[in-house]
Amino acid sequence: MSVTPGQAVPGQPLVPLHCLRFAEPGPPRQAALPNGTPVWLVSRHRDARQVLTDPAFGRALLYAPDAPPLTSTPNLLDDPDSLLNQDGPDHQRLRRTVQRAFTPRAVARWRPWVASVVEQLVDDLVKSGPPADVVAGFSTPLPVAVISRLMALDGLDQDRMRHWSNLALSDSSHTPEEVAAALREFGAFAAQLIAERRREPGEDLVSSLLAAAEAEGSIPERQLVSLVCGLVVGGHETTMTSLGNALVYLLSEAPESWVRLGTDEEAAGAAVEQLLRAIPLGEPKELPGTVRRASVEVEVGGVTIPAGAVVAVQSQIANRDPEVYAEGQFGDLFAPLAAPSLTFGAGPHHCLGAWLARMEMQLALHRLADRLPGLRLAEPVADIDWRLGSITRSPQRLTVVW
Amino acid sequence: MSGPAGPGAAGELVVRVDRARCVGTGLCAGAAPGDFQLDADGKSRPRRDTTVPSDGLSDAAEFCPVEAITVVDAATGRRVAPLD
Repeated sequence: MSVTPGQAVPGQPLVPLHCLRFAEPGPPRQAALPNGTPVWLVSRHRDARQVLTDPAFGRALLYAPDAPPLTSTPNLLDDPDSLLNQDGPDHQRLRRTVQRAFTPRAVARWRPWVASVVEQLVDDLVKSGPPADVVAGFSTPLPVAVISRLMALDGLDQDRMRHWSNLALSDSSHTPEEVAAALREFGAFAAQLIAERRREPGEDLVSSLLAAAEAEGSIPERQLVSLVCGLVVGGHETTMTSLGNALVYLLSEAPESWVRLGTDEEAAGAAVEQLLRAIPLGEPKELPGTVRRASVEVEVGGVTIPAGAVVAVQSQIANRDPEVYAEGQFGDLFAPLAAPSLTFGAGPHHCLGAWLARMEMQLALHRLADRLPGLRLAEPVADIDWRLGSITRSPQRLTVVW
Repeated sequence: MSGPAGPGAAGELVVRVDRARCVGTGLCAGAAPGDFQLDADGKSRPRRDTTVPSDGLSDAAEFCPVEAITVVDAATGRRVAPLD
């Protein structure tokens, strides 16, 4: 049996995300999804940027009546009302309700508070061990605390939030009914939160997006509900995943880099860009990458993509494209990137929370390494218990000692 | 109205786009289509050497997700957006 690079080998332990190997980038080529739907794979950095930024490639078209099926278990990313699945003016109208809160200068205003949360978590971790679980004690509670504060989710239980988020990004390991049920519950929570903040607006992201939507006047309610769910999930899930996987890499393979992260906050910022580029959030499962659909015939990298075709952008491969990153996957961890990586995407759907994620990761790695320069894994990498069932993968637990 | 407005005329603005930062979200061209265009590489560029104040232009500078846009007063060089 042949094994697609980047996919798990049945019966063998899962490798850490930084150990996944992918095919070399090349011109766009045709392949098929597991359900037989034809897909064009786009893997070179330049081609990937083109697909992500060219308005000829859209998301809404993926859910048009004539669109081919994509996955067996539709999740939040397949919700036609989500921010991700709007194009053009519809997308801009919705994104503008939240964009102001996520500009670099808006995020910078949160920096002292985020730093204080990091300090508190590091204090608690140090008191609790060694050994200690750095996932339960650090990489999960930090992004959960940040999005909870931004959205003022005081009444939301963390386990409930994590359950909904895991199913909202489910891979094919849940039934469509399980995912649909979780999304209904999650949507009901969001609708209730919206009703509460309309009655009693506060100084939070939900209140400000509702005020902006009210001023705009024509945004469908179901898009606001989906947006609130998307903010809860997007606000913590990927940061938690990236931070957990970065810790696996740093503590198992880069002890010298770990020490430097602690002594130099600015260098930690550069390292975060490299870590985000080099370590994928998960392995390709049903979808080989971020998908778009061509509205017209377009040439990409010398290849003609026909109108109506589904295209998968393989950013995990483009992020290692030697044409852009001569060093390959890993070089100098503290060197500036030769070009922005595609981890946060590009074009209209460039990650809303990119600056927030960067800041959280920089402060988290810098301050943890500063306090615990001798931090190391207590167990072999092969024994890591992975969080499964979602399109992202990160350690479920990561026991560390110092 | 006075004669033709040259660079530096009162109220005139200069738009700058940092193309190294630009990730091509196109929010600027959506908010102020007269002031921004997206090139073939998907990145934004100012359409004109100088322009005049508008809500759309202020929005574009305030909203840019990567803070790649600055708007300055053509006469004084003072930044007028983004401000907050």
